[in-house]
Amino acid sequence: MSISIRGQENMNMSDLVKNSFTKIAPFWPLKNLIAVNPLQGLEDLPIEEALKIASAYFEQSDLPQEMLLINIETIKWLGVYCDEGQATISMPLRENGLYYAWRELARYDQKLHSNKKENIEFLENLPDTSVEAIDHCLTSLGIAKDDQKQFMTLLLTTLPGWASYIKYRTEWAPKDPNVYSITQEDYLAVRLIITKLLWPKAKELAHWYKKAFDQSNSKVLEKIQATEQSYRIPLLKKIANQKIQKQHTPEAQLVFCIDVRSEPFRKSLESTGDYQTLGVAGFFGIPVQITDKIADISYPSCPVLLKPKHEIFESPCSAEKCLSYKKSHDLRHSFKRIYQSVKYTFSTPFALVETLGGLSGLWMGLRTISPRLSSKIKSIFNHNHNHINQYIEPSIDQIPFEDQCSYAENALRMMGLTDHFAPIVVFCGHGSATENNAYATALDCGACGGRHGGSNAKILARIMNSAEVKTALSKNGIKIPETTQFFAAEHNTTTDEVTLFCKDHTEAIEKLKHNLSKACTISNVGRLKKLEVNNCDPDKAKERSYDWAQVRPEWGLARNAAFIIAPRDLTSSLDLEGRCFLHSYDYKKDPEGTFLTTILTAPVVVAEWINMQYLFSTLDNVAYGGGSKITKNITGKIGIMQGNASDLMTGLPLQSVYRNDTDPYHEPQRLMVVVFALQSMVDKIIQAQPILQKLFSNGWIQMAILNPQDNETYVMNRDFSWQKVV
Amino acid sequence: MSSCFLESLYKLDGLSIIMVFLIAYIGLCVIGFASRYMKGDKKYRSFFVHLIGLIFSVSLMVIADNLWLLLGASCFSNWILVRLMIHNPTWQAAKASGVIAGKNHVLGAISMASAFGLLFFETGQSTVSSIIYQNNQSIVIEISLLLLLLAAMMQSALWPFHKWLIGSLNSPTPVSSIMHAGLINGGGFILVRFAPLYLENNKLMVAIFLVGMVSAVVGTLWKLMQSDVKRMLACSTMAQMGFTFVQCGLGLFPLAVAHLFLHGMFKAHLFLGSGSAAQEKRLDLSYPPKPLSFICALLSGVFASFVFASVTNKSWGAGDSTLVLMMIVLIAGTQLALPLLRTVNLRNLLSSCGITAAAALLYGASTQFIALTLAPMQLMQAQPLNIFHILGMVVLVLAWLCMLFVRNSSKNTNNYPLWMKKAYVKALNSSQPCADTITSHRNHYQYK
Repeated sequence: MSISIRGQENMNMSDLVKNSFTKIAPFWPLKNLIAVNPLQGLEDLPIEEALKIASAYFEQSDLPQEMLLINIETIKWLGVYCDEGQATISMPLRENGLYYAWRELARYDQKLHSNKKENIEFLENLPDTSVEAIDHCLTSLGIAKDDQKQFMTLLLTTLPGWASYIKYRTEWAPKDPNVYSITQEDYLAVRLIITKLLWPKAKELAHWYKKAFDQSNSKVLEKIQATEQSYRIPLLKKIANQKIQKQHTPEAQLVFCIDVRSEPFRKSLESTGDYQTLGVAGFFGIPVQITDKIADISYPSCPVLLKPKHEIFESPCSAEKCLSYKKSHDLRHSFKRIYQSVKYTFSTPFALVETLGGLSGLWMGLRTISPRLSSKIKSIFNHNHNHINQYIEPSIDQIPFEDQCSYAENALRMMGLTDHFAPIVVFCGHGSATENNAYATALDCGACGGRHGGSNAKILARIMNSAEVKTALSKNGIKIPETTQFFAAEHNTTTDEVTLFCKDHTEAIEKLKHNLSKACTISNVGRLKKLEVNNCDPDKAKERSYDWAQVRPEWGLARNAAFIIAPRDLTSSLDLEGRCFLHSYDYKKDPEGTFLTTILTAPVVVAEWINMQYLFSTLDNVAYGGGSKITKNITGKIGIMQGNASDLMTGLPLQSVYRNDTDPYHEPQRLMVVVFALQSMVDKIIQAQPILQKLFSNGWIQMAILNPQDNETYVMNRDFSWQKVV
Repeated sequence: MSSCFLESLYKLDGLSIIMVFLIAYIGLCVIGFASRYMKGDKKYRSFFVHLIGLIFSVSLMVIADNLWLLLGASCFSNWILVRLMIHNPTWQAAKASGVIAGKNHVLGAISMASAFGLLFFETGQSTVSSIIYQNNQSIVIEISLLLLLLAAMMQSALWPFHKWLIGSLNSPTPVSSIMHAGLINGGGFILVRFAPLYLENNKLMVAIFLVGMVSAVVGTLWKLMQSDVKRMLACSTMAQMGFTFVQCGLGLFPLAVAHLFLHGMFKAHLFLGSGSAAQEKRLDLSYPPKPLSFICALLSGVFASFVFASVTNKSWGAGDSTLVLMMIVLIAGTQLALPLLRTVNLRNLLSSCGITAAAALLYGASTQFIALTLAPMQLMQAQPLNIFHILGMVVLVLAWLCMLFVRNSSKNTNNYPLWMKKAYVKALNSSQPCADTITSHRNHYQYK
């Protein structure tokens, strides 16, 4: 009897813990920095209210003195527990989980018990489970039942970055046997025990918060609204003036990611010839886990909202290439192993630095003086990514035939490409190329889980080229001419180079390659202007991508402001300045609204995450951003701290959103979604989708339509009514 | 007269030339790097003014022959360095780091000034070159040398004066880079400058060896435990500085200079490249090694040490303090061969011997190059082997063997050795920076 009551209590406690985490947004680690709205946990509220609460939680300039000490100890222990390979001598007993391992060590931590007898006894007699420990601490701190959730939330929001990481680990991270497990209960137990020891009167934290909340008021929204006003209506008017062209078959069709960085390149490319470009989420609808057995890497390559369904093995296509790839990889690993073996132990590093000091010095000089030359030298030893990428082929055997057909059909219908196929169709993923950049993955493809998108493009191209798939598609009404060939490519967003994965040298391909490089030059001129480089030599852009000292290799998705779901005709003659996500969509081919539903509930939601991350990182780069790159310090290979030690700095670094210490480059405004579709259809979809209702009615996104019925433009009010734009 | 006075201010010898080259080269690299890295920073211009000032004043310090010039240049350099470290005083933690470093340097300056004062009153000379060749072994000289050693320890952040260094990472990356390659070497440099005097005092030589040893071991232990890249590098610098002192204590001053120089290059590069730390993937080294692998690796190590000995004109059987150095070469050679010999066969054995020999050749040649530059100063004076040297060697070897064979021995058990748990917590706590240099509330961080 007593056991069952206890069991119930514990269950309640687990729920309480989970609920105390609801206001915390997840933080993805450096290996795949996914953009997140730092106020994701407050999206259920109208934005005005959310901003006020967030200001009380996250923007306070000070904390109670005792909380600072608690944070120092929490950072110390989380740092060593969550370390993924920085320390050689790592925290003992981690395989038992955070609570158990920490409990075993904490009793010897003089900074926690301050040599006080009762504290040592307390640490020695901690309960067996973290849930019991939480209960115990809350009781002894005198927190009333009703205040417990809020109290635990405050323990999280007073060290928000680390709490976000725990949120990621417990609710979003894929299972990884190489990483030590962590639970929300374990973390809160540790945090509460430290609190109890260092601040027995921690109950006062609630008063501190109440005061902060009463005093907080956020005025940023007014400023944001002003910039939105001056951007949105002119944009809508410009789009409304465009005409849909008559369909024809172009020389080639190229499909890019919806990413705002695709738009300027697409425009440049279109100016070089009769090319039709389309936009769709850069994973091309293919939810896969990519595994490279030789390099021993495996990662999900799809939006984090999806779970990968197939594991795809990648290897160089010919046996000969495979062998040389493996050989060079093994050789590199042998040298790395020797280096690490001598570096990470006692006594031998003294000899290591004397042996390699001279070479290090020369290499440092070369990397500083000529990033170009040093990158060339590096690519001799390091199999150049682009070079080997040419030869790497994903095998699609893992994907059953039915799935292949449905992926192919869905992808084509999603982008509205079901007729007028050109002889060449290219799926173009994207990725960035930067050097010595801890935030590298923040510039990669968000739709591919913060990775390069070339692999997904290759998979889709392979599927589309299969004769069986084409036959199956034609049964469903998509007739692809036999002469049409599908190719994959990857757009390097740092240099605007596009690598076409194609070994043919036909005239059409050569012409396309030529025009791609022409487009690269054209769009680099614009890009360099934005980066305030006066010399518009496109090579300058390349140099930034090699340069180990470069803190602004590219502007990423800065200045993003709108998401346009419409045929390219409506935007192709406009200069959108790289500020818009572009998704191709033809409402006539989507009578049921299925594709529009997908677009609105997946890519638009992800775009909102991105938009909000840029917005908040710009508004307050300390509370929501990563701070300046110049003092960053990478901890545990997972995240950034500032200086000696600090909270995990979630969000974008200063240099990604600011021109300099004071002038923002990104213009904070909320995402406006523009759809070219019938009003009734949009209404129907929003009525059926709670997530959209939440985001629209609470003011996180603004909705607008170009209604083909009456050729009028409408914006949606927060009560879902439509207002005509005049 | 005035030109005579001017000449007495500075002295260009092998040591000063090497040090000026080091600081100028690293300085230029850091300036080039920072010219892009610091773009957009509010203090962009003043940052470079300070940086150039630092390079000049450190250069002045290393060529100074006049005691007061040396002291002045050293104080001025440290002052600039502290200003560079703080960079942005509105960030409280950065300011606190600077204050701690400043206090340390003030103490160091007082110590150095007293030492110089005593030397001046005892010898009546005010230039280093005339003082060091005085054959005077009075107690005053001994005290002044002790004070100088203390000043050197503070400058090079040796235990127990290390706190300022491991708490110095609130500085911009280029500042850390030039600091770990430049001014931190000041301590080792001072010892080498006054080497002839130290060489006459056995007790002090042992003291230098011992303080160096403590930092070398403690610093390495801390380095291996850190979970963030920059503090790992800082602890490693502390260990490397300790090793420089060890080399001084062994009477191998030119090798200490070689170490300063080569470590400076190495560490400056690592700091500037610390943004790539997350991409570095640690490879499995399959510890503990199989006995056969270990023995074969040991053979490669012995081979390497002979190659090293022949390049640098040393020998195993000299019976003096070079033995410690040879031991380190042997250990390093063995450690290098281990990953190549995870499976033992003739081919691997040959290639491991080849690669270790090549490494030993590079190692020997690098240090020999600098030792030859310094040869006219006649500072290579190996000491008779004493019990402390032996003890030091035993510690170095044991610590290394522990890493190979003892660690990870008991996982996942309730009977994890108690001393290991206690030692872990103790070492973790002692390697933390001072509390006020930690940004304990996110919004206390400031960039402008």
